[in-house]
Amino acid sequence: MSYTFQFGVLAQYQDQILSGICLTIKISVLSIVLGCAAGIVLSSIRSIWGGTVRFLVDAYVEIIRNTPFLVQLFIVYFGLPGLGLRVGADTAALIGMTINLAAYSTEIIRAGIEAVHKSQIEAGEALGFTRFQIYRHVIIVPAIAKVYPALCSQFVLMMLASSICSAISTQELAASAAFIESQTYRSFEIYIAVTLIYLVLALALRAVLAVVGMWLFGRRVARRTMTALPEVQA
Amino acid sequence: MTIWKFMRTMVAAVGMAAAGFALAVEAQAASLNDIISRGTVRIGVLTGAPPMGMVDEQGNPTGYDVDVANLIAGYLSLPVELVPLTPPARIPALQTGKVDFLVATLAPTGERAKTVMFTQPYSAFNMDIISGPDQKFAKLADLEGKRVAVNRGSSQETALRKAAVPGLEIVVYEDDSTSAQALIAGQVDAVALPSTVGEAIIKQRPDAGLQVGFTFFQQGNSMATRMEDFEIRQWLNTAIYLMKISGDLDKIATKWTGRPMPALPTF
Repeated sequence: MSYTFQFGVLAQYQDQILSGICLTIKISVLSIVLGCAAGIVLSSIRSIWGGTVRFLVDAYVEIIRNTPFLVQLFIVYFGLPGLGLRVGADTAALIGMTINLAAYSTEIIRAGIEAVHKSQIEAGEALGFTRFQIYRHVIIVPAIAKVYPALCSQFVLMMLASSICSAISTQELAASAAFIESQTYRSFEIYIAVTLIYLVLALALRAVLAVVGMWLFGRRVARRTMTALPEVQA
Repeated sequence: MTIWKFMRTMVAAVGMAAAGFALAVEAQAASLNDIISRGTVRIGVLTGAPPMGMVDEQGNPTGYDVDVANLIAGYLSLPVELVPLTPPARIPALQTGKVDFLVATLAPTGERAKTVMFTQPYSAFNMDIISGPDQKFAKLADLEGKRVAVNRGSSQETALRKAAVPGLEIVVYEDDSTSAQALIAGQVDAVALPSTVGEAIIKQRPDAGLQVGFTFFQQGNSMATRMEDFEIRQWLNTAIYLMKISGDLDKIATKWTGRPMPALPTF
């Protein structure tokens, strides 16, 4: 007996799917903006100050990069109330994703900063740039331009990993899919549809990031962004 | 130029993914002889819902379902391969042929019966509303405007949605223990749990001050087979009948829930 696909049942749940897509986009975009900003700040801080500050930033980066995202989410959602800080599922998801992405962004941008050759900074000094001008024009912007494709891959991974937030009852796309599945038991149809939606979302996000890259850093960087495919997350 | 190339790749990727899924998935109709000639029986059991299904200190599946599954395998005289499943994974695992049948504390519902076939009930428990130390609920109407945790796709979720208490917000988690955790962490006002699970959690976490409010229905649980596997279902019904008259089922019920199996109507 061969399986009969019934995609028709999905039609009556389009509101759930749409609201799931909206929340996925919302928490992804917000966490990308906040996480990236935090990454720029933290990687700058650790390159300017050494000693304890650098140690603390590195410790944060390594702790987040070497623990599962699901556990980080559980700590924010189930752990923080123990300290008297109660946040809702959507906020917890956003906090968890931002904390996670900030660590990865810091690490990626750090690589870019370290790739700026010393002679470039010396050239900046020779031209009479102030320290802030050197930081801005010689260090941070070229550094981000160098690592922009890697950064974009991480953003796409984070968007896909937002599906994990369904475990703490955030009603994003994967949670919508699970809800529809629990109502209809049409698992194949729903997960096929959701796979395609995530694929389109990821490709659209990549296209948007390429346009942003072109606007910020010019054509060459943008081209690399579009051709680089996301790495597979373990 | 590059944008076009990118667009082309994008369309190709989506197309390829769609084509991959369009290939029909074959579901094999299994008979009892197929299982016997394979030499092992694969049974899906519930996990994450003590005492019905959980893992022991060594990480092996244990609980009410596991004891019943082992007994069933004994009737078949076959070695058993237990597949621990979370509540939302039970029916998909059965449908995709990962398991031969389920002994996974699955309650028969009209909706589920459109997808899988149920046997006679082999276990039963009360479904309770449990709250934290600050408030106690005595009836469904008390839940007005409250947040109640349930596990996804469970019979308590269905029952609560059907009760349609005004202002009641149903918050969905992946399993019973996460739902209970949400109550302990104060993310919800109450949790709907089988009394067996609720009692186990109250015993494990006396510090949380959890209290049983009221029972909102009694649930019988059935084994489940795929729609086309009539032969396996009939054999399971026979085995359940034998387990009942031999008293083995009562022994398992007493071991895990503290009382013999309640008498439930059969179908």
